[in-house]
Amino acid sequence: MPAKRLFLVAVAVAAFGVPATSLPSSVKIGVVETLTGDNSAYGISIRKGVELAAQEINASKLLGGCRLELVVVDDKADKQEGISVFNKLIDDDKVAAILGPTLSGTAFAADPIAQKAGVPVLGTSTTAVGITAMGDYIFRDSLPQAAVIPGTLAAVVAKYNPRKAALLFQADQEYSKSEADVFKVSLAKLNIQLVGTESYSKGDSDFRTQLQKLSSKKPDILVLCSLVGEAIPVLQQAREIGISVPIVGGNGFNSPDILENAPEASEGLIVGSSWFIDSPVPKSRAFVEAFRAKYGGDPDQFASQAYSGLYIVANAIKSAGSVDRAAIRDALAGIKGLDTTLGSFSFDENRDPICRSVPLVVKAGRYVLFR
Amino acid sequence: MDMSLLADPVFLAQNLVDGLSRGALYGVFATGFTLIFGVLDILNLAHAATFMWCAFAGWLVMAKGGLPLPAGLAAAMAAGSAIALVLEFLAFRPLRRERARADKLGSMISSIGASLIMVSVAEAVFGVQTRRFPGSVLNPKPFFIGGPGGVRISRAQILILAASIILMAVLGLFIRKTRMGKAIRAVAASRKAAMLLGIDVNSVIVITFLVGGALAGAAGILVALLTNDIVPGMGGQIELRGLAVVILGGMGSMEGAVLSGFLLGLVETFTIAYLPDGSDIKDAIAFLILFLILLLKPDGILGRGKAERV
Repeated sequence: MPAKRLFLVAVAVAAFGVPATSLPSSVKIGVVETLTGDNSAYGISIRKGVELAAQEINASKLLGGCRLELVVVDDKADKQEGISVFNKLIDDDKVAAILGPTLSGTAFAADPIAQKAGVPVLGTSTTAVGITAMGDYIFRDSLPQAAVIPGTLAAVVAKYNPRKAALLFQADQEYSKSEADVFKVSLAKLNIQLVGTESYSKGDSDFRTQLQKLSSKKPDILVLCSLVGEAIPVLQQAREIGISVPIVGGNGFNSPDILENAPEASEGLIVGSSWFIDSPVPKSRAFVEAFRAKYGGDPDQFASQAYSGLYIVANAIKSAGSVDRAAIRDALAGIKGLDTTLGSFSFDENRDPICRSVPLVVKAGRYVLFR
Repeated sequence: MDMSLLADPVFLAQNLVDGLSRGALYGVFATGFTLIFGVLDILNLAHAATFMWCAFAGWLVMAKGGLPLPAGLAAAMAAGSAIALVLEFLAFRPLRRERARADKLGSMISSIGASLIMVSVAEAVFGVQTRRFPGSVLNPKPFFIGGPGGVRISRAQILILAASIILMAVLGLFIRKTRMGKAIRAVAASRKAAMLLGIDVNSVIVITFLVGGALAGAAGILVALLTNDIVPGMGGQIELRGLAVVILGGMGSMEGAVLSGFLLGLVETFTIAYLPDGSDIKDAIAFLILFLILLLKPDGILGRGKAERV
């Protein structure tokens, strides 16, 4: 009898392949995003991207009979909230992996919990220095600041050849502080003199004095590191007080929400991104079409990275042939040359993405290639 | 200290304009705050929530209704009066008893409760996303005195300075010259004595709330126009500063509130403008100065103890 049973198993394995047979009928993936508050523009866009990907993955039976079940929760851009929803997802929902959180600051607070519990985390929007250094379970498909900013500034140099730069950032925001530091290093490497650095704090809404101070130093470019909630008034007030030099924004400025709310002030804004709407990558074109069909509007960088993020996790589950958290982690680390909206996707040895960034400029309310 | 900036007269004048308009906002907010304190001897901690609701009222009328600024200002002030009236009847009057002491703490707690409810309701009604005025409502292009590169003054700032000066002048005349103003001062001096003299204390209190609420409303719409950032949590930023301005000016003193409002606005602006990392330390500097002034004058700049208020 045992011999016969073994034979049947062998037949089954031969017919369906090992992985598919050992997957359960469903697997839960936690999605932790900022869905309310000033910076919810990112999280709402990310949720759309992830939900579209889940729908496609389940419809196409990428994981055979195993369905992806998303558990989407709001971190309210709050560290304590991030920690408590991570605990809930890991202990109560028993998720196999977590996508998120939206902001680097929340990630610095919450990711160590997942690392300790051995739950793989894939950040799809966190760009600060040191995110993946928190542990071997922490991945991201969003480009770190150090991989984007030098390229963006090089493109700015090629076009405007600025000699002097001024910088404004949020002093009590990890993302913004880290990005400002990366900008400072990159500016120095390009021999652009930083003539002024100013900061603001959470809750501030009048930035005119700081901007006036920077303006009085007569910079050739203005560099801004803000999240969307402040990015809109900062841009508007910069133009209002008469700053007319090119403005270079950090990753926070990759949200169309800014272009809608500050249509005039955002014209000519320069950013760096892993993705743009007219990207010729085939997967990206299919994604843009599917996104438009489902939601009736254009996706942004955050939706694209989140959409690809869920595909990356699903493919890791597939190649692991298991929903075991450690097996998924190992499979994630082994992802190589996966076809995504961001192009051919791989992680480097630090679990950061290997893909190129493109400089973009806002023209008539859209992000287009900056040349 | 940034020496090159110190020598720049345009930058100095610019900071005076910005500091004064910022201070005018604190003054308008704090005047309503201190008026209610002067008359009732209680802190109305729902004043900031009233302010926030009025910003939304003005936003609704101007951004959604497409009406011009005077209508927005009127709507915000009317909303402020209406809300303050409801607060008086629901949160304050039921707790007002003859025996003092206990009812002051009770009123303060009840105003905190009212404030929490008002913020939660605003979150439910308007959502937590930031609301902004479209560019068509208030042309964001500022005027430059002395040509481009001169001193910038925005339409919002002109409006803020004009509205706050007019409001405070009207309020001063009302309190000093009218019969009702005198009645308010009498109640502020002694509720019992005013009652014995035949003053209808309850209607004086109602008028006080109407005026205080209207001032919160004016501050709400003016702050909204300056920052273009309207959220249910917007009261938190101004509440602490408003309280500081009230204490600094002398509890219950309206001239003191106006004066210390300007002082706080100027100190904040000059700290950001002239100190390195000034934005990080503006609150610390402002409250350090508050502390030092109170060490020298415990009753505030224009505080006169309990004897004469309002």
